[in-house]
Amino acid sequence: MTLGSLIDKTIAILRRDLLIAVRYRSGFVITAAGSLAQLAAFYYLARAVGPSFRPDGLDYFPFVLVGTGLFSFLISGMNSFVQIVQEAQQAGTLEILMSTSTPGPVLLFLSALSALTGHTLRLLFYLGAGLFLFGVSARTLNIASCLTILGLSIMSAMSIGIVAAAVQLAIHKGSAVLWLFSSASWLTTGALFPLTALPGPVRAVAQWIPLTHSLQGMRSALLQGARLPSLLPEISVLALFSLVLLPSSLWLFSWTLRRARLQGTLSYY
Amino acid sequence: MEGIILESVSKTFRHRPALFNWLGREQRGETRALTSVSLTVSAGTVLVLLGPNGSGKTTLLKLVSTMLLPDHGWISVNGADTRKQAGKVRQNVGFAVVTERSFFPRLTARENLEFFAALDDVARKCRKQQVETILQQVGLSHAADRLVMKFSSGMWQRLGIARALLKNPSVILLDEPTRSLDPGSATQFFDLVRTLAAQGAAVILATHSFQEALAVGDFVAVLDHGRLSAFRSLSALQQEEKLRSFYFESTGDFEESAQLVSREA
Repeated sequence: MTLGSLIDKTIAILRRDLLIAVRYRSGFVITAAGSLAQLAAFYYLARAVGPSFRPDGLDYFPFVLVGTGLFSFLISGMNSFVQIVQEAQQAGTLEILMSTSTPGPVLLFLSALSALTGHTLRLLFYLGAGLFLFGVSARTLNIASCLTILGLSIMSAMSIGIVAAAVQLAIHKGSAVLWLFSSASWLTTGALFPLTALPGPVRAVAQWIPLTHSLQGMRSALLQGARLPSLLPEISVLALFSLVLLPSSLWLFSWTLRRARLQGTLSYY
Repeated sequence: MEGIILESVSKTFRHRPALFNWLGREQRGETRALTSVSLTVSAGTVLVLLGPNGSGKTTLLKLVSTMLLPDHGWISVNGADTRKQAGKVRQNVGFAVVTERSFFPRLTARENLEFFAALDDVARKCRKQQVETILQQVGLSHAADRLVMKFSSGMWQRLGIARALLKNPSVILLDEPTRSLDPGSATQFFDLVRTLAAQGAAVILATHSFQEALAVGDFVAVLDHGRLSAFRSLSALQQEEKLRSFYFESTGDFEESAQLVSREA
């Protein structure tokens, strides 16, 4: 496949998703209202906790703002891979889509990329609202560090999402597996509270989840202005996760797709 | 070779009951959808597949399109093996599926076709024109900018045919293509299929309609319980009654066949 053809397909998928999103007119409003309600809840939770609680040396509201914002973004990103397969199975488009000239893994990847664009806008809205409406200061923000951490976080989230999509193809329960993963991650990755509050063995498990390093890195870059050299531990771990997980997850998806064609279960859900 | 070759193709679907099957009554077992089917469809000819429900017609079409892979035997599309060169096969095959639920309901007909055209590598510069031409061919120009969720069954079906023809495929697979079409649209469609075959396409059309078979087919193959029970040139069966009789004899429905013979007499 040439680069021109890849760009062409990306544009076609982005256009499709934008048109569908626009035609569900109320979707944007509901999402924005949900985000604002969630922010308000965390704001008043932080006030109730009081100023003396400073996880990792930060005020609690900015801590939880970045934690929940990035956590939800990455989990939604992972979920979009499963949703793409699940919706196509239910809508009856999966067999047709997988029989076009575009290879299945490429199609999944591009569709998820399109979904991630939407999630990125939602993350920007969430963080922007937190910064401007609830008065969080981001004067020390380091853009290069933020973008590096975000890029690597997306790569590792994509890998987990592709694995979940493969599970969806194989046993039609990708969303359940992802729900289990995200529930466990709420506890272990430090989205709501610092890792130091957890027992030693759970903290050790947390180090094997990419999200833990994403949240730590993003808080340092966004709220403490950390430069790239000081984020080297998080960057290295996230890069390693991506390097190992991304090719393996693509291989797994191709394998389950072939297996589904062989068993005739491609359209099952 | 240009066209489609199936050589001793078999396909079995295995049913594995759910984990807690004692709650339900789902049975373990298998369905032999196709058993050792061998067929050849040359470029420029139309093969009509007839057979009772569950005889394996759709499975055969899905195998040629690479939606399914065969358990045994091999399938070649314009010389490309569907197992080893699936990408190459997909570039050549257009498949109009029987299900209506295979489009994005909140996109218009034009938007749906443009999307699938991009996925099927129809060149960007001629895409709009190609979509326009196809919409006209299937009689959907007037509804091109209507959301497909507002379409009737017949319009969904025409859109499915349009999608199958988008990339000018040299192999066309049609699964009950006129099931929801009115007689006028069906006749137009028969002409379209004959034109495509005259232009060199190899066509397999699965149907339950003898009239459709006679209108478009060059050859007829009868599938029964996954086996190819008969294959004949349609030039020898030019009347609907003859084809009907041939069909019931091939499927072993002798009673129906005998009634037809006595009716003819």
